[in-house]
Amino acid sequence: MVSNSIWWLAVEAAEEASGGLFDLDATLPLMAIQFILLAVVLNTLFYKPLGQAIDERDDYIRKNKVEAAERLAKVEQTTKAYQQELADTRRQAQSVIAEAQAAAQKLAAQTLAEAQQEAQAQREQVQQELDEQKRLAFESLEQQVDGLSREILDKLLSSVAS
Amino acid sequence: MFYPLTLAKLEVGQHLYWQIGNLKLHGQVFLTSWFVIGLLVLVSFLASRNIQRIPSGIQNVMEYALEFIRDLAKNQIGEKEYRPWIPFVGTLFLFIFVSNWSGALVPWKLIHLPAGELAAPTNDINTTVALALLTSLAYFYAGFSKRGLSYFAKYIEPTPILLPINILEDFTKPLSLSFRLFGNILADELVVAVLVLLVPLFVPLPVMILGLFTSAIQALIFATLAAAYIGEAIEGHGHGGEEHE
Repeated sequence: MVSNSIWWLAVEAAEEASGGLFDLDATLPLMAIQFILLAVVLNTLFYKPLGQAIDERDDYIRKNKVEAAERLAKVEQTTKAYQQELADTRRQAQSVIAEAQAAAQKLAAQTLAEAQQEAQAQREQVQQELDEQKRLAFESLEQQVDGLSREILDKLLSSVAS
Repeated sequence: MFYPLTLAKLEVGQHLYWQIGNLKLHGQVFLTSWFVIGLLVLVSFLASRNIQRIPSGIQNVMEYALEFIRDLAKNQIGEKEYRPWIPFVGTLFLFIFVSNWSGALVPWKLIHLPAGELAAPTNDINTTVALALLTSLAYFYAGFSKRGLSYFAKYIEPTPILLPINILEDFTKPLSLSFRLFGNILADELVVAVLVLLVPLFVPLPVMILGLFTSAIQALIFATLAAAYIGEAIEGHGHGGEEHE
């Protein structure tokens, strides 16, 4: 009886002693299993889907960026080409204008020269005609002078004779 | 063994025992760890329930967390190998972080248990040892799966003279990991509890804020070191040395 109660006391003391800060027991492996389960659950619920979402977004952004860069390069190229074309066209237009001006000048000069020539010719002709008429007039005038002088002479002679 | 210390009304080393067959469990640890696990699963579920290309709300927060974890793992393990280890390292970080903060932010002490009291799961040595041993297993597995038997060559590098120290390192790693976390969290909770007992108003606040800070830092340290060990095992005789903070 006495020995029995001592035994019980010892058991109680042992049970009390099993507490404490550094009391390792089945909590440890169960906690480990629990943790692994949590990792698995979070993997399917959190890491995988959200990681996928992040990666997809990164891909999407990268793709868009590349596309945008390509488009920008294209636009720049097109702009360059158009500017080139514009410069070419402008140069062409300038040369056309210059040609046209030169041609017009030439034409004007030619026309002027022709007109001057014609005018000269006409003047010469007119002068000739004038000279001719003058000569004719002088001729007829001389004849008349001759006739008149003969008449005057006849008259004078006749008056003298009479 | 250690007898429960009694600091005024404070109880340290008291556990709510659950008996399953021959096994003894610390009930209060499981209760709070279930709360933490439930919270994590719930938040993850809410975050990934409706994934948008332009994230908002909880998805945004959890993506930020995931990016943080990815950066951590990438820095420690390396660009090439880090992806399969994200679940492990990330869960380590999230579980420890939420555990620590739940211990600091949730007024567990208001819920009375028949024995012991509710606190952060990480202030029980079983939890931290479990996490540390898992880390050891993880880096052994990482080394084996990557380098096969040549993994053992690391024990005689740089010289065979260092063999005992290298072997010892495999024991000190989980030991330091578990005790660092356990000690920091327990000490933090004890300091807060003692201060609350002595000066119940305002004075404990700075210590509580400091506690939040150290809790977050401890989670970060644990996850970073675990990732660093894994990276070391994968890479071989690379950047040795621990990064204690």
